[in-house]
Amino acid sequence: MMSRAASLFVLLLASWRLALPGWHYRFPEDHGVHRAFKTEWWYFTGRLRAGSGKTYGYQATFFREGVRPPGSPGTSRFLADDIKFAHFAVTDVDAGRFFFLQKTSRGAFGEAGFGDSGRLAWIEGWSLAETRDGGFALKADGEGKAVDLLLKPEKGFVIHGANGVSQKAEGAGHASCYYSSTRLGTTGRLSINGKSEAVAGESWFDHEWATNSLTPAQIGWNWFSIQLDDGTELMLYQMRTRNGGIDPNSSGTFVLKNGSGEYLARDAYSLTPTAFWKSGRTGATYPIAWKVSVPSLGLELETSTPVKEQELALGSITYWEGLIEVRGKRTGHGYMELTGYAKPLGGM
Amino acid sequence: MTSQLFVLFRRQVLRDAMRHKVLAALNILSVGLGVGLYLAIQIANHSANRALAAGVDVVAGKANLEVRGDIPEALFPSLAGLPGVSGCTPVVEGVVTLPDYPGEYLRILGVDMFTNEPFRTFDIGSGERPFELERWLAQPGGVAVSVEFARKHGLKAGDRLRALVNSRRKDLEINFLLDPEAAVTMDHVAAMDIGWAQELFGVQGKLSSVQMIVSNPQEAKLPLPPGLTAAPPAQRSFQVQKMLSAFELNLTALSLVSLFVGMFLIHNTVSASVARRRVEIGILRSLGASRNEVRLLFLGEAFLFGAGGSIVGIAGGVLLSNLLVGSVAKTISSLYVLVSIDRFFVSPAHLLAAAGFGLAASLAAAWHPANEAAATDPVRALSMGIRMEEKAARVNLWVVAGFLSLALACAASWLALKTGPPLLGFVAAFLVLFGFVCFSPLLIRMLGGAAPKEVVLRLAAENFRRSIHRNSPTVAALSAAIALVIGVSIMIFSFRNTVDVWMNRGFAADLFVTPASNETIGLEAFVPPEAISFLEKQPETLAVDTFRELRVPLGGETAPLGVVKGADRRNLPFVGGGRKAKMAKFFGGDYVVVTESFARRWRKGEGDRLSLATPGGPKEFEIAGVYYDYTRDEGLIMIDRKAFERYWKDARVQSLALYLRDRGMAEGLAERFRRRFSAQGEFAVYSNRALKQRAFQVFDQTFAVTYVLRAIAVIVAALGIFLSLTTVITEREREIGVFRAVGGSRRQVGGMIFAEAGFIGVAASVLGLAAGCSLALVLTFVVNKAFFGWTISLQFPWPLLAATPFWIVPASLLAAWVPALRASRIPIAAAVRAE
Repeated sequence: MMSRAASLFVLLLASWRLALPGWHYRFPEDHGVHRAFKTEWWYFTGRLRAGSGKTYGYQATFFREGVRPPGSPGTSRFLADDIKFAHFAVTDVDAGRFFFLQKTSRGAFGEAGFGDSGRLAWIEGWSLAETRDGGFALKADGEGKAVDLLLKPEKGFVIHGANGVSQKAEGAGHASCYYSSTRLGTTGRLSINGKSEAVAGESWFDHEWATNSLTPAQIGWNWFSIQLDDGTELMLYQMRTRNGGIDPNSSGTFVLKNGSGEYLARDAYSLTPTAFWKSGRTGATYPIAWKVSVPSLGLELETSTPVKEQELALGSITYWEGLIEVRGKRTGHGYMELTGYAKPLGGM
Repeated sequence: MTSQLFVLFRRQVLRDAMRHKVLAALNILSVGLGVGLYLAIQIANHSANRALAAGVDVVAGKANLEVRGDIPEALFPSLAGLPGVSGCTPVVEGVVTLPDYPGEYLRILGVDMFTNEPFRTFDIGSGERPFELERWLAQPGGVAVSVEFARKHGLKAGDRLRALVNSRRKDLEINFLLDPEAAVTMDHVAAMDIGWAQELFGVQGKLSSVQMIVSNPQEAKLPLPPGLTAAPPAQRSFQVQKMLSAFELNLTALSLVSLFVGMFLIHNTVSASVARRRVEIGILRSLGASRNEVRLLFLGEAFLFGAGGSIVGIAGGVLLSNLLVGSVAKTISSLYVLVSIDRFFVSPAHLLAAAGFGLAASLAAAWHPANEAAATDPVRALSMGIRMEEKAARVNLWVVAGFLSLALACAASWLALKTGPPLLGFVAAFLVLFGFVCFSPLLIRMLGGAAPKEVVLRLAAENFRRSIHRNSPTVAALSAAIALVIGVSIMIFSFRNTVDVWMNRGFAADLFVTPASNETIGLEAFVPPEAISFLEKQPETLAVDTFRELRVPLGGETAPLGVVKGADRRNLPFVGGGRKAKMAKFFGGDYVVVTESFARRWRKGEGDRLSLATPGGPKEFEIAGVYYDYTRDEGLIMIDRKAFERYWKDARVQSLALYLRDRGMAEGLAERFRRRFSAQGEFAVYSNRALKQRAFQVFDQTFAVTYVLRAIAVIVAALGIFLSLTTVITEREREIGVFRAVGGSRRQVGGMIFAEAGFIGVAASVLGLAAGCSLALVLTFVVNKAFFGWTISLQFPWPLLAATPFWIVPASLLAAWVPALRASRIPIAAAVRAE
């Protein structure tokens, strides 16, 4: 009897926390890891220009996929509480080339992890750290490509969704805690095939944590982060359902010049694909050009991509993530993420 | 072969073989048995080697360097970061038994899916449930079993398995199915996340091995703490095979005896066929056939038997190996290393060797009669009435050969013991066997010279003596087979008695306790401390001795180290006596004692020093004494527990021996212990008597294979009697005809043949007993000593020896049944046509 009570206790302890309304964000604390939640990521994308005039896109993401909730039994150092993995991609716009790499680690010996003195996340040589001036230092490299960047937020952090959570599906907990720094001044160096150049540009930082935010009926999403040249930004997402529809729990945020965010409900915007590209590698067909319309803001935009092939073909988590250009009444650039096209995304 | 010779071959040999179908079949069968037995043993040995090598391969995968020992896990990142290392993965290994599947076990590899990708030799996630890293990492006790294992037991992903680990029950759940690459087939291998494997086996902080891919494995100098070794994984399978080689060679040698016996039969058949066709040979020769052509004809006949026998033997050997493999695997598991042979490996080389042996033996056996045929003088061959029996004069030559062979056997024995190689022991055994059978002509002449009053017996004795050329090989074959039975029986009997005496002295405790899994998988599991303290506190208990075994690096290899508490009560029998002084040393300081087989294998003796790698660095231990031990031919170093804990800082034990106030209390205490700790059979608890019984069970299992080998040798020999008498009758057709014509009855003819068979039986028994006793000497004192380093006190199973003629003679008579019947039915008129 005793042991049953004990195991029940352990079970209660050892379960994941759901992202429920009412989360109070505190910075810089919330930049750190939220181990009580199952899934978490730190997402950096940006457009950089080199002195030579060349344009690059980059993506560096640190993922934490929880395996066992905190407090789970076991003392072996090898017991993994989470899967630590990271993606690094570079788009060489002028050459029309895309490059991507994944690192995965158990982190049993501290070679990968989240939240030590200074670093928010790291895997071997890839790392994300806070800088003293409230910015970030980002490093990733591999196969001759590398970024070593300093990023400084030009606006405050904007919290997405309503009441502290960004709802992804119907029902309590099918949501994430989600904030962004929508415009970070970025400087540093970028290497392509060992050739290093000084670069400067603008980045976007997303930090999101959740537990089982997706339902089995959802297979992925379309997500946009757009930096308009007028100093405003737009984040939009659509949760895609198995039957080909869009989940009503989709939303967006419009960020004003002063950094304040405006919540955009599902019916406040529309997204219409206008061109498709079929991946030779995975066979997935991605909608790579869109018509974006936010009538309340008077926004009528068309997105396209300078490089069609910006697919991270990584087996079970294959997705398209790449630099886009924005035209229309206003111009700008951004990143687009298309998931669940090669295979439904599960377990997030 | 010229076309002309081929025609001759067809007419003379093939047609003749067709005419004497039974004879030909028997010859083929006798070669077939020998070839089959040899092949079956080779397949069993080879399959065992492959299974063991696969065990190494499945752990090491594609690694070219492997670090082994009691590895602190923190070493792993520093090895992975060394220059020149392109792959590095940690492994935790352990074995669990499955109480729901008696006798079954799983060798669990704790692997790191994040780093082992370049090493992997298996796919995890075949079948309906594909691999998912998250499930793999998340599930406590999640284990991937092989597709074969799952199929065998009707298991699927999601099923639960109860396992015993260190006498504790653990729940496992099959998370995925594991599909080994074709080259690596091990049904008992299972994989688990390394973290869960550490938890399962309670080895947090430790690794069993680190597998590495380095640019130059031979030159790699790794900064390793003391006690750890780095070597290419292939070296480990090489060491295992080296350990088994003596055992496997023994089986091979025994399996060849049947072929040796079969050779006598071929010799007999071919010489009979020479005798039968003396006239034809004469005609052929006078028509211009050369001596060589005649020789080739008869060698061709032998070739026919050899080829036929090889085909039969290869088919039979493959079948027979199915029967032997289980027994061989059990013996290897109980004596050397845990192995289960799940696949048969038949290499073309073994098939070729088997066929080669069959052909070579047949040709060698036919060489002498074929030469005789070639030497036949056409004139004498064509004149009727001259018989072959004049050859009897060669008896003395054989006697000389016999003595020479025995003298050589002595020399070979001496060399085997003094200088080696141990293989000379088998040469000696063969020479003894051969030496004794050389005396068969002499024995036949002596026995046949006895002149009993009774007319049938007298005629039989006379025939027995006169057909010395035919009966010698028969008696030789039979006596060789008997000698094998007797020799091996005496050796096993002596061995068993020696072990019995040794166990009575050495196993003085009243109760023995060990985790049950140790019975299936060898000493792997530990006794939990609470079980020890429980037993120590019981009122019946006088003392609790403990034992633990581990492998320690020694001179580039590893050797087993036994850690004992209370060895004084074990009463170790030392070579050269002096127990008190040696044991005092053993308990007093940095001393070890070693077994006799260890001393032989490592060429170390009393007073020598052994440098053992302790976790704190190498440490010298002096050998306080060498003691008799029959548990393993690999040998054992024994160290006192106090000394061990001083340097190894490890107090775990694997088995307990309890001394009680009264042996009668053993059952009661065992029952209480079982109720408290072993409700689900987590422990094996043996009383003194039960342990001895169990030890003998293992002992007898070890020799089970030899019983098969002996039985087949006797069957071949019995075939020999049948064959020999059948030919003798064909040869004597005329004579029998005359005997019947002058009034001999059918009964008398039959009786004569029976009596002759009896003479063969008696002669073979006498010779076989003498040869068998001598063979036992060689097996016990030379082969055993040279290969395994065991001292066995020779003892004779007198009743068994005395009984030999009582089963050999009836067996001979039984074999004579059909020939006697045939002889009595020979029609007189046809038989005496030539007179």
